[in-house]
Amino acid sequence: MNPARKQALFERTVLPHLNAAFNLARWLTRDSHDAEDLVQEAFLRAFRSFETFQGNNADDSRAWLLAVVRNTCFTWLRKKGGQPTLEFDEQVHGGADESPNAESILLNQAALGSLQDCLEALPLEFREAIILRDLEELSYKEIADIARVPAGTVMSRLARGRKRLKECLAGGLR
Amino acid sequence: MNCETGRLLTETNDPAFAEHALSCPSCLIGMHARYYEAPAGLERKIRQSLRQESSAASPWRWMAIAASLLLAASGVWNIALLRSRVDPRQLIAANVLSAHVRSLAGTHLLDVPSSDQHTVKPWFNGKLDFAPPVKDLEGFPLLGGRLEYIDGRPAAALIYGRAKHTINLFIWPSQTPSSETARILNGYNQLNWSSDGMAFWAVSDLNETELRQFVSLYRRNQAQ
Repeated sequence: MNPARKQALFERTVLPHLNAAFNLARWLTRDSHDAEDLVQEAFLRAFRSFETFQGNNADDSRAWLLAVVRNTCFTWLRKKGGQPTLEFDEQVHGGADESPNAESILLNQAALGSLQDCLEALPLEFREAIILRDLEELSYKEIADIARVPAGTVMSRLARGRKRLKECLAGGLR
Repeated sequence: MNCETGRLLTETNDPAFAEHALSCPSCLIGMHARYYEAPAGLERKIRQSLRQESSAASPWRWMAIAASLLLAASGVWNIALLRSRVDPRQLIAANVLSAHVRSLAGTHLLDVPSSDQHTVKPWFNGKLDFAPPVKDLEGFPLLGGRLEYIDGRPAAALIYGRAKHTINLFIWPSQTPSSETARILNGYNQLNWSSDGMAFWAVSDLNETELRQFVSLYRRNQAQ
Protein backbone atom coordinates (compact mmCIF):
# COMPACT_ATOMS: atom_id res chain seq x y z
CA MET A 1 0.00 0.00 0.00
CA ASN A 2 1.27 3.45 -0.85
CA PRO A 3 2.26 5.25 2.39
CA ALA A 4 0.03 8.27 1.84
CA ARG A 5 -2.99 6.07 1.15
CA LYS A 6 -2.22 3.85 4.10
CA GLN A 7 -2.01 6.85 6.39
CA ALA A 8 -5.26 8.31 5.08
CA LEU A 9 -7.07 4.99 5.49
CA PHE A 10 -5.66 4.52 8.98
CA GLU A 11 -6.71 8.00 10.04
CA ARG A 12 -10.19 7.36 8.68
CA THR A 13 -10.76 3.94 10.21
CA VAL A 14 -8.62 3.70 13.34
CA LEU A 15 -7.97 7.21 14.61
CA PRO A 16 -11.68 7.89 15.38
CA HIS A 17 -11.38 5.35 18.23
CA LEU A 18 -8.89 7.53 20.03
CA ASN A 19 -11.21 8.14 22.99
CA ALA A 20 -11.86 4.44 23.48
CA ALA A 21 -8.12 3.80 23.30
CA PHE A 22 -7.38 6.49 25.83
CA ASN A 23 -10.17 5.41 28.15
CA LEU A 24 -8.90 1.84 28.21
CA ALA A 25 -5.29 2.89 28.68
CA ARG A 26 -6.27 5.26 31.47
CA TRP A 27 -8.27 2.62 33.29
CA LEU A 28 -5.54 0.03 32.93
CA THR A 29 -2.67 2.30 33.96
CA ARG A 30 -4.66 4.50 36.38
CA ASP A 31 -2.55 7.45 35.25
CA SER A 32 -3.33 10.00 32.55
CA HIS A 33 0.27 10.76 31.59
CA ASP A 34 1.19 7.12 31.24
CA ALA A 35 -2.01 6.52 29.31
CA GLU A 36 -1.20 9.33 26.89
CA ASP A 37 2.29 7.97 26.18
CA LEU A 38 1.04 4.43 25.81
CA VAL A 39 -1.79 5.42 23.49
CA GLN A 40 0.69 7.19 21.23
CA GLU A 41 2.88 4.14 21.23
CA ALA A 42 -0.09 1.88 20.59
CA PHE A 43 -1.20 3.98 17.60
CA LEU A 44 2.27 3.73 16.10
CA ARG A 45 2.29 -0.02 16.62
CA ALA A 46 -1.16 -0.32 15.11
CA PHE A 47 -0.10 1.78 12.14
CA ARG A 48 2.94 -0.39 11.52
CA SER A 49 0.87 -3.55 11.52
CA PHE A 50 -2.14 -1.98 9.81
CA GLU A 51 -1.61 -4.30 6.82
CA THR A 52 -2.60 -7.23 9.03
CA PHE A 53 -5.95 -5.67 9.96
CA GLN A 54 -8.66 -7.66 8.22
CA GLY A 55 -11.85 -6.06 9.53
CA ASN A 56 -14.27 -4.03 7.52
CA ASN A 57 -16.37 -2.05 9.96
CA ALA A 58 -15.96 0.41 12.81
CA ASP A 59 -16.55 -2.23 15.51
CA ASP A 60 -13.77 -4.38 14.06
CA SER A 61 -11.31 -1.54 13.88
CA ARG A 62 -12.16 -0.44 17.41
CA ALA A 63 -11.68 -3.94 18.83
CA TRP A 64 -8.46 -4.30 16.83
CA LEU A 65 -7.10 -1.00 18.13
CA LEU A 66 -8.14 -1.81 21.70
CA ALA A 67 -6.26 -5.10 21.48
CA VAL A 68 -3.11 -3.20 20.50
CA VAL A 69 -3.67 -0.67 23.29
CA ARG A 70 -4.29 -3.44 25.78
CA ASN A 71 -1.10 -5.28 24.81
CA THR A 72 0.95 -2.11 24.87
CA CYS A 73 -0.34 -1.32 28.34
CA PHE A 74 0.12 -4.85 29.68
CA THR A 75 3.68 -5.01 28.38
CA TRP A 76 4.44 -1.69 30.01
CA LEU A 77 2.70 -2.59 33.28
CA ARG A 78 4.51 -5.89 33.52
CA LYS A 79 7.82 -4.18 32.97
CA LYS A 80 6.95 -1.59 35.55
CA GLY A 81 5.44 -3.99 38.06
CA GLY A 82 3.35 -2.89 41.02
CA GLN A 83 -0.14 -3.72 39.73
CA PRO A 84 -1.96 -6.54 41.45
CA THR A 85 -1.95 -9.53 39.14
CA LEU A 86 -4.73 -12.00 38.69
CA GLU A 87 -2.55 -14.97 39.60
CA PHE A 88 -2.04 -13.49 42.99
CA ASP A 89 -5.69 -12.62 43.22
CA GLU A 90 -6.91 -16.03 42.19
CA GLN A 91 -4.69 -17.75 44.68
CA VAL A 92 -5.64 -15.61 47.61
CA HIS A 93 -9.18 -14.55 46.87
CA GLY A 94 -10.53 -17.52 44.97
CA GLY A 95 -12.92 -18.39 47.84
CA ALA A 96 -16.18 -17.31 49.39
CA ASP A 97 -18.77 -15.04 47.87
CA GLU A 98 -20.74 -13.01 50.39
CA SER A 99 -23.05 -10.47 48.76
CA PRO A 100 -23.27 -7.18 50.58
CA ASN A 101 -26.56 -6.19 51.98
CA ALA A 102 -28.20 -4.13 49.25
CA GLU A 103 -30.66 -2.48 51.54
CA SER A 104 -27.98 -0.88 53.61
CA ILE A 105 -26.60 1.12 50.73
CA LEU A 106 -27.60 4.51 49.47
CA LEU A 107 -26.12 5.75 46.29
CA ASN A 108 -24.68 9.23 46.55
CA GLN A 109 -21.70 11.29 45.50
CA ALA A 110 -19.51 9.46 47.96
CA ALA A 111 -20.61 6.20 46.46
CA LEU A 112 -19.72 7.41 42.98
CA GLY A 113 -16.34 8.52 44.27
CA SER A 114 -15.73 5.14 45.76
CA LEU A 115 -16.91 3.50 42.54
CA GLN A 116 -13.86 5.07 40.91
CA ASP A 117 -11.59 3.90 43.72
CA CYS A 118 -13.09 0.44 43.80
CA LEU A 119 -12.73 0.00 40.06
CA GLU A 120 -9.14 1.12 40.17
CA ALA A 121 -8.46 -1.25 43.04
CA LEU A 122 -9.62 -4.24 41.03
CA PRO A 123 -6.97 -6.61 39.72
CA LEU A 124 -5.88 -5.62 36.24
CA GLU A 125 -7.58 -8.48 34.41
CA PHE A 126 -10.93 -7.90 36.16
CA ARG A 127 -10.71 -4.19 35.51
CA GLU A 128 -9.87 -4.83 31.89
CA ALA A 129 -12.87 -7.11 31.41
CA ILE A 130 -15.25 -4.71 33.14
CA ILE A 131 -14.06 -1.63 31.25
CA LEU A 132 -14.27 -3.40 27.90
CA ARG A 133 -17.69 -4.84 28.68
CA ASP A 134 -19.44 -2.11 30.62
CA LEU A 135 -17.82 1.02 29.22
CA GLU A 136 -16.89 -0.05 25.71
CA GLU A 137 -19.76 -2.51 25.43
CA LEU A 138 -17.73 -5.06 23.56
CA SER A 139 -19.04 -8.61 23.20
CA TYR A 140 -17.61 -11.48 25.22
CA LYS A 141 -15.99 -12.79 22.10
CA GLU A 142 -14.33 -9.48 21.31
CA ILE A 143 -13.04 -9.22 24.86
CA ALA A 144 -11.81 -12.82 24.71
CA ASP A 145 -9.90 -12.01 21.51
CA ILE A 146 -8.39 -8.90 23.01
CA ALA A 147 -7.38 -10.53 26.29
CA ARG A 148 -6.40 -13.75 24.52
CA VAL A 149 -8.41 -15.95 26.87
CA PRO A 150 -11.49 -18.14 26.27
CA ALA A 151 -14.88 -16.43 26.42
CA GLY A 152 -15.69 -18.49 29.52
CA THR A 153 -12.75 -16.91 31.30
CA VAL A 154 -14.01 -13.48 30.30
CA MET A 155 -17.40 -14.25 31.82
CA SER A 156 -15.90 -15.54 35.00
CA ARG A 157 -13.60 -12.53 35.28
CA LEU A 158 -16.57 -10.23 34.76
CA ALA A 159 -18.63 -12.01 37.39
CA ARG A 160 -15.86 -12.06 39.92
CA GLY A 161 -14.83 -8.51 39.14
CA ARG A 162 -18.35 -7.23 39.62
CA LYS A 163 -18.71 -9.19 42.81
CA ARG A 164 -15.56 -7.67 44.20
CA LEU A 165 -16.72 -4.28 43.09
CA LYS A 166 -19.93 -4.76 45.07
CA GLU A 167 -17.95 -5.84 48.08
CA CYS A 168 -15.70 -2.86 47.77
CA LEU A 169 -18.61 -0.44 47.36
CA ALA A 170 -20.48 -1.96 50.27
CA GLY A 171 -17.37 -1.83 52.42
CA GLY A 172 -16.71 1.79 51.53
CA LEU A 173 -20.26 2.85 52.26
CA ARG A 174 -20.87 0.89 55.35
CA MET B 1 -35.10 -3.99 36.89
CA ASN B 2 -32.97 -3.23 33.89
CA CYS B 3 -30.41 -0.57 33.26
CA GLU B 4 -32.86 1.82 31.68
CA THR B 5 -35.01 1.70 34.79
CA GLY B 6 -31.91 2.25 36.85
CA ARG B 7 -31.09 5.29 34.78
CA LEU B 8 -34.55 6.76 35.31
CA LEU B 9 -34.34 6.09 39.01
CA THR B 10 -31.00 7.74 39.37
CA GLU B 11 -32.17 10.73 37.40
CA THR B 12 -35.07 11.13 39.79
CA ASN B 13 -32.70 10.53 42.68
CA ASP B 14 -34.73 7.57 43.85
CA PRO B 15 -32.97 5.55 46.55
CA ALA B 16 -34.32 2.44 44.87
CA PHE B 17 -31.51 2.84 42.39
CA ALA B 18 -29.00 1.98 45.06
CA GLU B 19 -30.54 -1.40 45.33
CA HIS B 20 -30.52 -1.84 41.61
CA ALA B 21 -26.97 -0.61 41.35
CA LEU B 22 -25.70 -3.35 43.56
CA SER B 23 -27.70 -5.99 41.81
CA CYS B 24 -26.42 -4.65 38.51
CA PRO B 25 -22.92 -3.20 38.88
CA SER B 26 -22.54 -3.20 35.16
CA CYS B 27 -25.28 -0.58 34.95
CA LEU B 28 -23.56 1.36 37.66
CA ILE B 29 -20.31 1.30 35.76
CA GLY B 30 -21.90 2.01 32.42
CA MET B 31 -23.63 5.05 33.81
CA HIS B 32 -21.33 6.29 36.48
CA ALA B 33 -17.82 5.10 35.92
CA ARG B 34 -15.81 7.83 34.39
CA TYR B 35 -15.21 7.63 30.68
CA TYR B 36 -11.83 9.19 30.08
CA GLU B 37 -11.72 11.16 26.89
CA ALA B 38 -8.40 11.64 25.17
CA PRO B 39 -6.74 14.91 26.21
CA ALA B 40 -6.73 17.74 23.73
CA GLY B 41 -3.68 17.65 21.52
CA LEU B 42 -3.21 13.90 21.69
CA GLU B 43 -4.82 13.40 18.30
CA ARG B 44 -2.53 16.01 16.76
CA LYS B 45 0.52 14.32 18.31
CA ILE B 46 -0.57 10.98 16.94
CA ARG B 47 -1.20 12.35 13.46
CA GLN B 48 2.25 13.90 13.55
CA SER B 49 3.97 10.70 14.59
CA LEU B 50 2.04 8.79 11.92
CA ARG B 51 3.23 11.26 9.32
CA GLN B 52 6.82 10.84 10.45
CA GLU B 53 6.47 7.08 10.44
CA SER B 54 4.83 7.23 7.04
CA SER B 55 7.51 9.38 5.46
CA ALA B 56 10.22 7.34 7.14
CA ALA B 57 8.82 4.29 5.41
CA SER B 58 8.31 6.05 2.10
CA PRO B 59 9.66 4.60 -1.15
CA TRP B 60 12.49 7.13 -1.05
CA ARG B 61 13.84 5.54 2.04
CA TRP B 62 13.59 2.11 0.47
CA MET B 63 15.29 3.48 -2.60
CA ALA B 64 18.06 4.92 -0.46
CA ILE B 65 18.44 1.58 1.30
CA ALA B 66 18.43 -0.25 -2.03
CA ALA B 67 20.98 2.17 -3.44
CA SER B 68 23.32 1.79 -0.50
CA LEU B 69 22.97 -1.99 -0.63
CA LEU B 70 23.76 -1.89 -4.31
CA LEU B 71 26.78 0.27 -3.64
CA ALA B 72 28.00 -2.09 -0.94
CA ALA B 73 27.42 -5.08 -3.20
CA SER B 74 29.30 -3.49 -6.07
CA GLY B 75 32.16 -2.69 -3.68
CA VAL B 76 32.32 -6.31 -2.60
CA TRP B 77 32.04 -7.40 -6.21
CA ASN B 78 34.90 -5.12 -7.25
CA ILE B 79 37.11 -6.39 -4.48
CA ALA B 80 36.23 -9.94 -5.46
CA LEU B 81 37.08 -9.08 -9.07
CA LEU B 82 40.38 -7.56 -8.05
CA ARG B 83 41.25 -10.60 -6.01
CA SER B 84 40.19 -13.15 -8.54
CA ARG B 85 41.53 -11.06 -11.37
CA VAL B 86 43.05 -13.10 -14.12
CA ASP B 87 46.78 -13.04 -14.32
CA PRO B 88 47.58 -10.15 -16.71
CA ARG B 89 49.77 -12.59 -18.61
CA GLN B 90 46.70 -14.58 -19.51
CA LEU B 91 45.32 -11.49 -21.18
CA ILE B 92 48.59 -10.86 -23.02
CA ALA B 93 48.69 -14.51 -24.06
CA ALA B 94 45.22 -14.16 -25.55
CA ASN B 95 46.28 -10.91 -27.26
CA VAL B 96 49.36 -12.53 -28.68
CA LEU B 97 47.40 -15.50 -29.94
CA SER B 98 44.85 -13.23 -31.65
CA ALA B 99 47.59 -11.20 -33.31
CA HIS B 100 49.27 -14.37 -34.50
CA VAL B 101 46.11 -15.92 -35.90
CA ARG B 102 45.06 -12.65 -37.51
CA SER B 103 48.45 -12.29 -39.20
CA LEU B 104 48.05 -15.72 -40.77
CA ALA B 105 44.38 -15.43 -41.63
CA GLY B 106 44.67 -12.30 -43.72
CA THR B 107 47.14 -10.99 -46.20
CA HIS B 108 48.83 -8.79 -43.70
CA LEU B 109 51.63 -10.95 -42.37
CA LEU B 110 54.44 -8.60 -43.31
CA ASP B 111 54.84 -4.83 -43.42
CA VAL B 112 58.43 -5.18 -44.40
CA PRO B 113 59.13 -8.40 -46.24
CA SER B 114 62.84 -8.96 -45.93
CA SER B 115 65.15 -11.69 -44.77
CA ASP B 116 67.79 -9.09 -44.05
CA GLN B 117 67.89 -8.03 -40.42
CA HIS B 118 69.60 -4.80 -41.53
CA THR B 119 66.57 -3.96 -43.60
CA VAL B 120 64.00 -4.98 -41.05
CA LYS B 121 65.51 -3.32 -37.99
CA PRO B 122 65.78 0.20 -39.49
CA TRP B 123 62.25 -0.14 -40.82
CA PHE B 124 60.96 0.08 -37.24
CA ASN B 125 62.81 3.36 -36.67
CA GLY B 126 60.33 6.17 -36.34
CA LYS B 127 57.48 3.69 -36.07
CA LEU B 128 58.30 2.56 -32.52
CA ASP B 129 59.79 4.31 -29.52
CA PHE B 130 62.13 1.38 -28.95
CA ALA B 131 64.56 -0.66 -31.05
CA PRO B 132 63.64 -4.34 -31.19
CA PRO B 133 66.59 -6.69 -31.52
CA VAL B 134 66.27 -8.20 -34.99
CA LYS B 135 68.36 -11.29 -35.63
CA ASP B 136 68.55 -13.61 -38.56
CA LEU B 137 68.65 -17.15 -37.29
CA GLU B 138 70.00 -20.30 -38.81
CA GLY B 139 67.24 -22.80 -39.42
CA PHE B 140 64.63 -20.15 -38.70
CA PRO B 141 64.81 -17.74 -41.60
CA LEU B 142 63.68 -14.18 -40.95
CA LEU B 143 60.74 -13.36 -43.21
CA GLY B 144 60.17 -9.76 -42.25
CA GLY B 145 58.60 -7.40 -39.77
CA ARG B 146 55.23 -5.94 -38.97
CA LEU B 147 53.75 -3.36 -36.61
CA GLU B 148 51.41 -4.76 -34.00
CA TYR B 149 49.39 -3.51 -31.14
CA ILE B 150 49.53 -5.71 -28.05
CA ASP B 151 48.40 -5.10 -24.48
CA GLY B 152 47.43 -1.53 -25.19
CA ARG B 153 50.65 -0.40 -26.84
CA PRO B 154 52.56 -0.67 -30.16
CA ALA B 155 54.75 -3.71 -30.50
CA ALA B 156 57.17 -5.06 -33.05
CA ALA B 157 56.37 -8.36 -34.71
CA LEU B 158 59.24 -10.30 -36.22
CA ILE B 159 58.22 -13.13 -38.49
CA TYR B 160 60.34 -16.24 -38.80
CA GLY B 161 59.74 -19.38 -40.80
CA ARG B 162 60.41 -23.00 -39.99
CA ALA B 163 59.53 -25.37 -42.82
CA LYS B 164 55.88 -24.49 -43.46
CA HIS B 165 55.37 -23.03 -39.98
CA THR B 166 55.35 -19.39 -39.12
CA ILE B 167 56.64 -17.91 -35.90
CA ASN B 168 55.53 -14.49 -34.71
CA LEU B 169 57.88 -12.93 -32.19
CA PHE B 170 56.27 -9.94 -30.50
CA ILE B 171 58.47 -7.44 -28.72
CA TRP B 172 57.58 -4.41 -26.67
CA PRO B 173 59.10 -2.49 -23.77
CA SER B 174 58.09 -3.84 -20.39
CA GLN B 175 59.35 -3.35 -16.87
CA THR B 176 57.79 -6.62 -15.70
CA PRO B 177 60.58 -9.19 -15.44
CA SER B 178 59.68 -12.64 -16.57
CA SER B 179 61.60 -15.86 -16.80
CA GLU B 180 61.06 -18.09 -19.81
CA THR B 181 57.54 -19.47 -19.61
CA ALA B 182 55.82 -21.84 -22.01
CA ARG B 183 52.10 -22.24 -22.49
CA ILE B 184 49.69 -23.69 -24.97
CA LEU B 185 46.66 -21.68 -25.99
CA ASN B 186 44.16 -23.06 -28.51
CA GLY B 187 46.80 -25.52 -29.69
CA TYR B 188 49.40 -22.83 -30.35
CA ASN B 189 52.61 -22.88 -28.41
CA GLN B 190 53.75 -19.74 -26.74
CA LEU B 191 57.01 -18.88 -25.06
CA ASN B 192 57.64 -15.62 -23.33
CA TRP B 193 60.52 -14.07 -21.45
CA SER B 194 61.92 -10.67 -20.71
CA SER B 195 65.29 -9.16 -21.30
CA ASP B 196 66.84 -5.69 -21.45
CA GLY B 197 63.55 -4.04 -20.40
CA MET B 198 61.57 -5.70 -23.17
CA ALA B 199 58.96 -8.42 -23.24
CA PHE B 200 59.33 -11.16 -25.84
CA TRP B 201 56.46 -13.43 -26.85
CA ALA B 202 57.01 -16.11 -29.44
CA VAL B 203 53.96 -17.89 -30.78
CA SER B 204 53.65 -20.58 -33.42
CA ASP B 205 51.93 -23.79 -34.41
CA LEU B 206 55.41 -25.25 -34.20
CA ASN B 207 55.90 -27.93 -31.54
CA GLU B 208 57.23 -26.80 -28.22
CA THR B 209 60.68 -28.37 -28.63
CA GLU B 210 61.35 -26.54 -31.88
CA LEU B 211 59.90 -23.34 -30.52
CA ARG B 212 62.28 -23.64 -27.57
CA GLN B 213 65.14 -24.19 -30.05
CA PHE B 214 64.11 -21.04 -31.83
CA VAL B 215 63.96 -19.07 -28.62
CA SER B 216 67.32 -20.23 -27.31
CA LEU B 217 68.89 -19.49 -30.68
CA TYR B 218 67.35 -16.02 -30.73
CA ARG B 219 68.44 -15.30 -27.18
CA ARG B 220 72.01 -16.51 -27.88
CA ASN B 221 72.17 -14.23 -30.89
CA GLN B 222 70.68 -11.35 -28.93
CA ALA B 223 73.34 -11.73 -26.26
CA GLN B 224 76.15 -11.54 -28.79
